[in-house]
Amino acid sequence: MAKVLVLVPFPLNAKNLAQREIQQEAAHLGPDIEFHYRTVKAAPSNYVSHHDYVLADLGMLEAGLSAQDDGYDAVCIDTMSDSGVSALRSVLDIPVFGPGRASVLVALMLGERFSILTMWDSWRGLYKKTLLELEAGARCASIRAIGVAPDNRNLLAGKKDDLLPMLLSEANKAVSEDGAHVILLGSTTMHESHAYLAEHLPVPIINPGPLSYRMAETALALGVTHSRSSYPSPVVQKDDLFHTMLDAAAAAEGRDQ
Amino acid sequence: MAKALVLVPFALDEAGIDNRRAQLKAVKLGPDIAFDFRPVTAGPASFMSPHDWALMDMAIFEAGLSAEDDGYDAVCIDTMSDSGMLPLRSMLSIPVISPGKASMLFALTLGEKFGLLAQWQPAILRNKKALAEWGLAHRCAAIESYDSPPDFSNLMSGKEDEVFPKMQAAAERAIAAGADVICLGSTTMHQAAAFLADNLPVPVINPGPLTYKLVETVLALGLTHSRAAYPTPLAPKREMIQAMLAAAAKVEGGS
Repeated sequence: MAKVLVLVPFPLNAKNLAQREIQQEAAHLGPDIEFHYRTVKAAPSNYVSHHDYVLADLGMLEAGLSAQDDGYDAVCIDTMSDSGVSALRSVLDIPVFGPGRASVLVALMLGERFSILTMWDSWRGLYKKTLLELEAGARCASIRAIGVAPDNRNLLAGKKDDLLPMLLSEANKAVSEDGAHVILLGSTTMHESHAYLAEHLPVPIINPGPLSYRMAETALALGVTHSRSSYPSPVVQKDDLFHTMLDAAAAAEGRDQ
Repeated sequence: MAKALVLVPFALDEAGIDNRRAQLKAVKLGPDIAFDFRPVTAGPASFMSPHDWALMDMAIFEAGLSAEDDGYDAVCIDTMSDSGMLPLRSMLSIPVISPGKASMLFALTLGEKFGLLAQWQPAILRNKKALAEWGLAHRCAAIESYDSPPDFSNLMSGKEDEVFPKMQAAAERAIAAGADVICLGSTTMHQAAAFLADNLPVPVINPGPLTYKLVETVLALGLTHSRAAYPTPLAPKREMIQAMLAAAAKVEGGS
């Protein structure tokens, strides 16, 4: 039985965590693999600023540091920013997959240009690093936002009737006006919209969380992992330092660890 | 049970097909998918010239045209040249997955640059063409040849001791040139994948098995290629295409 650890970018209660865990169903993976979800100890309130990105990287790195020792076969990151992926790849040998880079590369397997569909313009920064690292800016037809502040805890709950038509409208414009061949959902927090959009759009739409689970399963099935030459190990690894910092962060936020 | 059709780029006999079918053993697949292997009706003798590439595009196109009507859920193309992929995508709604572009993109999920292994010098041009066609030349650290003319039917059977070390040396040259990941430049190299994976310090992409996992993935996620990228023709010419390849087979002495 393969075990995959999914790192969730916010400290969530059980109900909110369940809304993330349900993404497994859309991956349609068999009985030989199971997914365990672990939240970070502390996090920014949202991912809109470089202040947030550096906190996110540290939180995800700390949450995943022990994954290999804990017996996991792979790690997935539950955010399109791919926060923590590079850092975790530098300290783990097991595959680590984030949905951001994987979504772009799989989109380019299905077409030549893609658009990213997102909740608000404040999230444009989530994609910048991935697009720059892959030099894929010219392949990105557009980033289209519906102008609604996201709820990274409750996701789309209670708002789908309003949001789904807005998302569909922007996605259709990305196809008809911007020339997108493939649509990427701009956040795993938007996964509850995927089935509706897939049914109504004339192009493929990628559901990033389930895609990352399938990428992890694919890597395990092929016996491959990330390249050490791209993600060199540190000279001195500082696990205790990261744990101490995140414990202190959690305490400062009023959470017991 | 999902069914995928693997198109083999030469008109091989059963022994030749078995050498290709052996790729299934190199990857863990789920229990609910089966792969059938179908050779082209007729085609070129090799892959080294634009003459060959034009024939191969048409041969694979014809071989896969009926896949959807035949009840298949997806098509795989068993050549890193991706011959026939774009025409088939313009005619089929089911996923058409080919290893050339997909290997390079998958390699980039694992590292920043990849190296391509080519059997011999004449194969290098085909690889350069693919890099240009897919806009990925800037991500290729090196194309390295191990100077061993390909045998498209017997593959490397019986030549492992002679060829595998040469492949390793070529891969090491690519790594020295900056490759973080090695892509086997042909599905005919699959017999060397395990040896190279054991003896190289970077991941090795085995292209045929990769396509089988990608087929599983896209079917599970309800994805297929984009019609916006691969528009259907105004007037499909199925019968004409099938007649062309049937005539070609007669010229080659087949049925």
